[in-house]
Amino acid sequence: MDETLFAPLTTLGASLVLLFGVVLLWRRSLNAYIQAFKWQSVILSGVFFLVGYFGHDPELYGVGVALLGLKVFFIPHLLGRLRKRVGADHEITPYVNIATSLLIGGMLVLLAYVLMRPVVTVSTLPTRGALPLALGLVFIGLFVLITRKKAITQVVGFLVMENGIALLAVLGTYGIPLIIEMGVFLDLLMGILVMQVFIYQIQDTFESIDVDRLTHLKH
Amino acid sequence: MLFLLLLLPSLLAALLALVVRPYRPAVGWSNAVLSLAAFGAALGVAGHAIAGEILVWGPGDLFRADSLSALLMVCVSAVAAMTLFLSPGLGRSAAFTDRQLRRYHLFINLFIFSMLLAVSVNNIGIMWIAIEATTVFSAMVIPLTLSKASVEASWKYILICSVGIALAFVGTVLGYFDFVALSGRAENALNWPVLLNFAPHLHPEVMRIAFIFLLIGYGTKAGLAPMHTWLPDAHSESPATLSALMSGVLLAVAMYALLRWKMVVDATLGDGFTDTLLLTLGLLTLFIAAFSLVRASNYKRMLAYSSVEHTGLICIGLALGPIGTFAAMYHIVNHAAAKSMMFFLSGRILHRFHSTELGAVRGLLKVMPATAILFAAGMLALVGLPPFGLFMSEFALVRAGFVTGHPWLMALLLVLLAVAFVALLRHLNSMLHGTPTAEIATGEDHRWGLVPMLMSVAVLLVLGFYLPASFQSLLDGIAALVTH
Repeated sequence: MDETLFAPLTTLGASLVLLFGVVLLWRRSLNAYIQAFKWQSVILSGVFFLVGYFGHDPELYGVGVALLGLKVFFIPHLLGRLRKRVGADHEITPYVNIATSLLIGGMLVLLAYVLMRPVVTVSTLPTRGALPLALGLVFIGLFVLITRKKAITQVVGFLVMENGIALLAVLGTYGIPLIIEMGVFLDLLMGILVMQVFIYQIQDTFESIDVDRLTHLKH
Repeated sequence: MLFLLLLLPSLLAALLALVVRPYRPAVGWSNAVLSLAAFGAALGVAGHAIAGEILVWGPGDLFRADSLSALLMVCVSAVAAMTLFLSPGLGRSAAFTDRQLRRYHLFINLFIFSMLLAVSVNNIGIMWIAIEATTVFSAMVIPLTLSKASVEASWKYILICSVGIALAFVGTVLGYFDFVALSGRAENALNWPVLLNFAPHLHPEVMRIAFIFLLIGYGTKAGLAPMHTWLPDAHSESPATLSALMSGVLLAVAMYALLRWKMVVDATLGDGFTDTLLLTLGLLTLFIAAFSLVRASNYKRMLAYSSVEHTGLICIGLALGPIGTFAAMYHIVNHAAAKSMMFFLSGRILHRFHSTELGAVRGLLKVMPATAILFAAGMLALVGLPPFGLFMSEFALVRAGFVTGHPWLMALLLVLLAVAFVALLRHLNSMLHGTPTAEIATGEDHRWGLVPMLMSVAVLLVLGFYLPASFQSLLDGIAALVTH
C-alpha cells in the first residue's frame, strides 16, 4: 500500500476507537458497554496491524493477535458472564446525566489536544495527528469510571482507559518493547480476574453492585 | 547470582503455599525461613553498593543495583522477613481457615516478590509492571475475612491504584516516545542508565507532561494527597501484617519509582520544575495528614494517616537537593522500622480488644504491659522525639530545607509536625491509661512474637544515636546519584 495512506488511516482508526469510547457516555445498558468495549478493541487491534505494516515491525502483528484474544474474546466473555450472574442490566442513575456527560466528554478531548500540543509539535511521526485522540480516550475512560455507579461499569471504564493508553503507546512509539507489552497484558489479565472476584464479593456482602452503597469507611 | 538469591525465595515460598493443600504450619515456617535468605542477599547487594560497585546481571542487563536499589532491597526484605515470622498460621491459632491461610501465604509472597523485583530491575518499564502487580497481589490479601468494610476497602484500593498506576504508564510512554523519536528504536531504551544518559537531549516540553503523569501515578501509590484516599481504608481493613508491609515499604517503593524518574526529568529540565511540584504536593499531603490525625477515631486509621504524613515528609525531602534526598532516604529506613512495628503491635491490640476504635482501647498499660511500652516507644519515635532515628532524619530534612533556602516552608512544616505531634500523643495517652472493661483479659500471650519488635526498637535507637559508617556511605552514594 501507498505510504501516504498511513497518516489518514491511523487518524481514522484512532477516531473510531475514540468514538466507541464516547458510546459509553450515552448508553445505559451494561450490555451496550461491554459491546462498545469489544468493538473498540477490534478497531484497536486493527490499528496495531496497520502500524505494524507501515512501520515494518512484524512484532506488532503478534501483539495485535494477543490483544484480539484478550480484549475481544476473553474479557468481554468474562464480563458478560459476570453481568448475568449478578443480574445487573442498566446504569440507572449515574452521578452525571447523559447530556452533561457528552458535553464534558467533548471538553476532555479538547483538554487532551491542549496537553498534547507540545508533543505533537516536536514529533515528526506520520501518526502524530492521532495522539491527542488517544489521550482523550484515556480521560473519557477515567470520567466513566468516576461517574458511574455499577462496579461492572467502572471496570469497563478502566478497560477503555487502558485501551487509550495502548493506542497512545502504539501511535507514539510504534510499539513499546515486546517484553513490556506482554507484562502489561499479564497485569491487565490478573487485574481483571481479581476485580471479578471482588465484584462477586461486593454482590455477596452488599446484595448489589451499586458502589454508592460502599460508604462504610469513614474516619 | 545475588539477584537470584534475592528474588527466588519469595517465588519458591509462594509455590509452596500453592501446592501444599490443605495449608500446614510447616508452609508458614518454611516461608519465614526462606525470607531470611532474601534478606541475606539484600545485605550482600548493599555490601557491594557500599564498596562503590554497581551490580548488573542478566540478559540485556535485566537487573541492576546501585546504592538506591540496595537501600530499598534491605528495607523490603527486612520488613518482609518480620512479616512472615509474625504471619497468621505459624501457631495453632484457629482464627483463620486453612483456605484463608493458603491464600494469604500465596499472595503475600507474590506481593513481596513484586516489590523486590520493582527495586532490582534496570528497565523502568518492567519496574512499572512490578509495581502494578503489587496492587493486584496485595488487594487479594486485604479481605482475608469478608466483611462490608474489608470488601469496600479492597475495591477502592484496586480501582484507585490501578487507575493511578495506569496514568504512570502514560508518563512512561511519553518519556519513551521522545527517546524513540530522537534516537530510533532500541531494546534497552527503557534501561534507566541509558535513558538517564540520553535525558539532556530529550524535549523539555514532553518531559514536563510526562513527569506530571508520573507524579500523579506513582504519587497515588505512594499515598500523596489528594490521591491518598484509598490508603486509610486499605490499611485499616488489612490484616496487621499486610498493613505493616504496605505502610512500611510499599509506599517507599512507589517513592523510589518517582525518584528514578525525577533524576531523568531533572537531567532534561534542570532543577526547579520537579522540585516545585514535589514541594507543593508534599506540603499538601502533610497538611491533610496532620488534620486527619486530629480527627482520627480508629487507631489503625491513625497509623495509616501517620504514614501519609511521613510520605509527605519524604516527598519534601526529595525536592531539597542532595542533602534533602540523603535525609529522605534516611527517613525511609527509620519509617520502615517504626511503622511496621506499630502495625504488628496494632494486630496484637486488635486481637485482645476486638475493636479498632480508639474509644474501645483503655488501660493498655495494665492489660498488655510489654505491648503497651513498645507501642508507646514506637509512637514517640513516629512523632519525631529523640532518642529515636526519626528525630535525626527529620532534623536532617529541616536542616536541608534551611540550607537550600526555604525557611518559610520549613516553618510551616514544623507547625504541621507539631499538630501531628499533639494529636498522636493525645491518642496514645487515651489508649495507655484508663480502666479497661472487665471482660478483657490481662497478660501477654505469644511473648516470642515481641522479639522482632524489640529488634525494630533497637534499630531505631541505634540510628537515633549515630549513623553507622556503612549506612552513611550507602546514603552518601544515593545523594551522589542526584548530584549533577
